[in-house]
Amino acid sequence: MKKFLVGILVFMMLFSLVGCNDKNDSESTMDVNENGKITIWAWDPNFNIAIMEEAKARFEKEYPNVEIEIVDYAKADLEQKLHTNLASGTTNGLPDIVLIEDYNAQMYLQSYPGSFADLTGQIDHKDFVDYKTELMTLDGKVYGVPFDSGVAGFYYRTDILEAAGYSASDLADITWDDFIKIAQDVKDKTGTAMLAFDPNDGGLMRIMMQSAGAWYFDEEGNPNLANNPALEDAVRVYKEIAGSNFIKPTSGWGEWVGAFNSGDTASVITGVWITGSVKAEASQSGLWAVAPVPRLNVANSKNASNLGGSSWYVLNSSKEKGTAIEFLKTTYAKDVDFYQNILVDRGAVGSYIPSQSGSAYVAEDPFFNGQKVYADFSKWMSEIPAINYGTYTYEADAAIFGQMGEVYSGGNIKDALKKAEDQLKSQIQ
Amino acid sequence: MNKNQKAKSLEKAYEKHSWGFIGIAVIMVLIFNVYPIINSLVLSTMSGKGVVMHFNGLGNIRRLFDDTVFQTALKNTFTFFIIQVPIMIFLALIIAAFLNESTLKFRSWFRTAIFLPCVTSLVAYSVLFKSMFSFDGIINTTLLNLHIIQQPIPWLLDPFWAKVTIILAITWRWTGYNMIFYLAALQNIDSSIYEAARIDGASKSKQFMKITIPMLKPVILFTTIMSTIGTLQLFDEVVNLTGGGPSDSTLTLSQYIYNLSFKFTPNFGYAATISYVIVFIVAILAWLQFKVGGERNA
Repeated sequence: MKKFLVGILVFMMLFSLVGCNDKNDSESTMDVNENGKITIWAWDPNFNIAIMEEAKARFEKEYPNVEIEIVDYAKADLEQKLHTNLASGTTNGLPDIVLIEDYNAQMYLQSYPGSFADLTGQIDHKDFVDYKTELMTLDGKVYGVPFDSGVAGFYYRTDILEAAGYSASDLADITWDDFIKIAQDVKDKTGTAMLAFDPNDGGLMRIMMQSAGAWYFDEEGNPNLANNPALEDAVRVYKEIAGSNFIKPTSGWGEWVGAFNSGDTASVITGVWITGSVKAEASQSGLWAVAPVPRLNVANSKNASNLGGSSWYVLNSSKEKGTAIEFLKTTYAKDVDFYQNILVDRGAVGSYIPSQSGSAYVAEDPFFNGQKVYADFSKWMSEIPAINYGTYTYEADAAIFGQMGEVYSGGNIKDALKKAEDQLKSQIQ
Repeated sequence: MNKNQKAKSLEKAYEKHSWGFIGIAVIMVLIFNVYPIINSLVLSTMSGKGVVMHFNGLGNIRRLFDDTVFQTALKNTFTFFIIQVPIMIFLALIIAAFLNESTLKFRSWFRTAIFLPCVTSLVAYSVLFKSMFSFDGIINTTLLNLHIIQQPIPWLLDPFWAKVTIILAITWRWTGYNMIFYLAALQNIDSSIYEAARIDGASKSKQFMKITIPMLKPVILFTTIMSTIGTLQLFDEVVNLTGGGPSDSTLTLSQYIYNLSFKFTPNFGYAATISYVIVFIVAILAWLQFKVGGERNA
């Protein structure tokens, strides 16, 4: 009996030793293997996956024997899988290339040091817009290949806005206070709600803050909630919007998209990646236009901002690291025509600067009544203030929205932000 | 003497072989149960980002006392547990008592109908409830058309109503499950007891309070403990219905553990600490319930 138990213990120890051993035995080379196989993880079949398929088709023309497998996961599932694989230390289950949301880039780079390939010098990052490169830089090394931009726009229904007496020039370069006035007027005159609004979603708040070059954190990465004029103004605007009658309250992505597709709301303010969903309602063709996002009431707030966006990263454990890097280099960091193609097909605004002089970027879009929307978007993109997102975007988001309930019911904004900052500080210790 | 020896060697052989039989199971339990439990206990003394961890001793426990999100999650979990479990248990008891009446028509149809929610997937019904309880969903539309309310109720967007929605949802899902236990137990109560009570002139409600409930005590205890554990681990419904919002008003401990590991910058050590908090609370509550309800009959 005793012997038996000892035997089991020895067995278990051996087992765990074996488990530890295969941490670093994967060999990786920087050479391109023309017969290799690379695996890619991404989410959203209508956007990232479809774009990756296009890149794959182009790459296979040059390297017909390289096998590329693109795996489609839901975003939350992908993140969970990536966390568990990286945390366990076994690299067998990991892909060669993975898509990571920009807000989370630093979190992955800092939480799993050495897991992602250093691409400094492999890719010419000067060809990409600044703010994208900055968010994937850690200790002077650049770790990813920038992909799509989340440059934000103020999409609106021209027919409804005109019925209330507003033309394009009334909506260009306005402040959020102007927006609230216009929205109220539109609601009073036409009865249509202006915005589909989820009072617990931080998307708009991040758009507002970045337009002023501010974030939840300062340059050194310390929480910056209590004494942040841009955030304070953003919270004030949130409170006014949430308490108004020109919104349609929604909860979750499906309801939110449904609100403008069904014509229940007259505008949507978000990242350029929504273009595909707006265009999905073909019956509204010709009725939409895009204006720059409103700005905050603080100095140096611009009518340009960003929401979301993601980038590609190569895993250090990849057995075909060279091939994977070559793949990203020949498509995302070189192929201007590829970017025209994904812009037309998917509405994807890349962050690769040379691509923006291509033909598709200056084309008129009949859905937007002939407006050269992508020329506008790339102009706004160059104006987006570059900021350091830091590691804890979602912690900050949770801390603030934990207090928003009190703000909505009349609480003091400064006190709420102070409380949120205290909570955030205890979260990130 | 001889016989005795034979029995002894047989016993030895039995022992040897029986270990062989259960050995595989024991090894599996050790690897997949005991080892993770011990390892997570070790993990709960560490802190850090992802794989960059350092020993933190009791720091994680100290952190619990400053962590307002944890306290909110704990409070929410207890609100759900204190309000929802008694409502559900009582409902299940009453329904079981009705369905046990031999005079009731379509009994088996009712039983199936009430049990049916239990076979639906947690995620599927949550998604369905989300659309039913949305701002212009079927619940609001119906209530408005019946003139019961003047304004649509923000079921998922208001801190109070979001809690109500969650409680409604889990009550719908689990009442039938508990009812089945009571139905089974009711079959074992001798009908002569009720007959005697009837002869003595006890009303139906008196019979229910004085006979049915005391006779079902062990089963009630069992279902209460199961429901307690279930409520403390509440996750699927909250994530799919409200995502923990608005303003963390429906955040549960399990969802907070998930957030700490997968949504926020991963701190697996602190997440492990909180999962031990749940274990600790479940143990205390189960012990309490045994003390209060189980002494005489269990």
